[in-house]
Amino acid sequence: MSATCVDTPISWLRLEQHAIVRDPDVDAHLATCEACRACLDAIRADGIVLPALPALPAPAPKKRAWWTWAAPALALAGAAAIAIVVLRPRPRDEHGEDVARVKGVGEVIVDVVRERGGAIAESARTFRPGDRWKVVVTCPPDARASLEVEVHDPHGIDRPLPPAQLPCGNRVVVPGAFEITGRDPNRVCVRVASPAGGADGVACVTVSPE
Amino acid sequence: MRKAQRLLRNRDDAVDIVHALFVDLIPKWSPDVDLPYLYRAVTNRCLNALRDHATRARLLAQQGDAAAPLGRVRLEDEVVGSALIATLAQRLDEGHFEVLIARFVDDMTQDEIAVQLGLSRKTIGKRLDRIRDEVVALRAEAAS
Repeated sequence: MSATCVDTPISWLRLEQHAIVRDPDVDAHLATCEACRACLDAIRADGIVLPALPALPAPAPKKRAWWTWAAPALALAGAAAIAIVVLRPRPRDEHGEDVARVKGVGEVIVDVVRERGGAIAESARTFRPGDRWKVVVTCPPDARASLEVEVHDPHGIDRPLPPAQLPCGNRVVVPGAFEITGRDPNRVCVRVASPAGGADGVACVTVSPE
Repeated sequence: MRKAQRLLRNRDDAVDIVHALFVDLIPKWSPDVDLPYLYRAVTNRCLNALRDHATRARLLAQQGDAAAPLGRVRLEDEVVGSALIATLAQRLDEGHFEVLIARFVDDMTQDEIAVQLGLSRKTIGKRLDRIRDEVVALRAEAAS
């Protein structure tokens, strides 16, 4: 076979393409060029079929090492712990609803004092007919607060004491006393506002019948 | 695969190259994969094989088993065989090597190479000049 092309050789790529789809220009060259015709004949005679890859057995499912599940589990547990710490609802305070934060006053804590037959009980939470109650508030000493006591029961809201404006301090007594009656729990609330104005806040304690 | 076989002069290695190429291509198969693309992909994989010292040594040892090149295009009157390709693979960068393969193994014209590689014909000409210079230098080294 002559290895000399009569002109510019037809590239192998064009010959491969010509073997798939005939190209008249290539045909014209091949008619006069023995070298390129030999190359095309080699392509046609080759008929290469890629040998099939051997079939591989499906891998048996591996028993997972303990750390392959322990690591994600630990990561998940850590993420859950962080989420609990970050996303948990923040308690308003250690006392629950008996604290209000009021702009211009600060943190106000409400408590009640019960007088029963001459006996005084601080922070009492149960009542009987005949008990007398006073409200005490604790707020920052350099502030003043406008206070109004409300007693909520299932039948409505009662305001047994006149509104008062008091200097803050530790367990400041709201002037006046009142009785709680009925067979249902009552919520004794204090609506607190700054004398300078602004939004008020409400702090409550619940007392139940004995 | 014929192209890989022409380049590597070894059927088994050519089969390996083409198998590996299709294993990579099949998961992301697209109709844009045509013969010129496959030619170029095979060239790159053959180049990697030739640059690997162990593979090159084995191919050179086996080249007697391979079909002789038809040699329609010669480089400095020399048929570009495995030994020359393997030697030049160590002296040319990838861009020049691709041009070498396209011109002297695939027998492409400079215009075809320019289209295939997406370069200007002038760049292809410069790279061919550099390849020829390298071959001349090789001959000079061999003579001395």
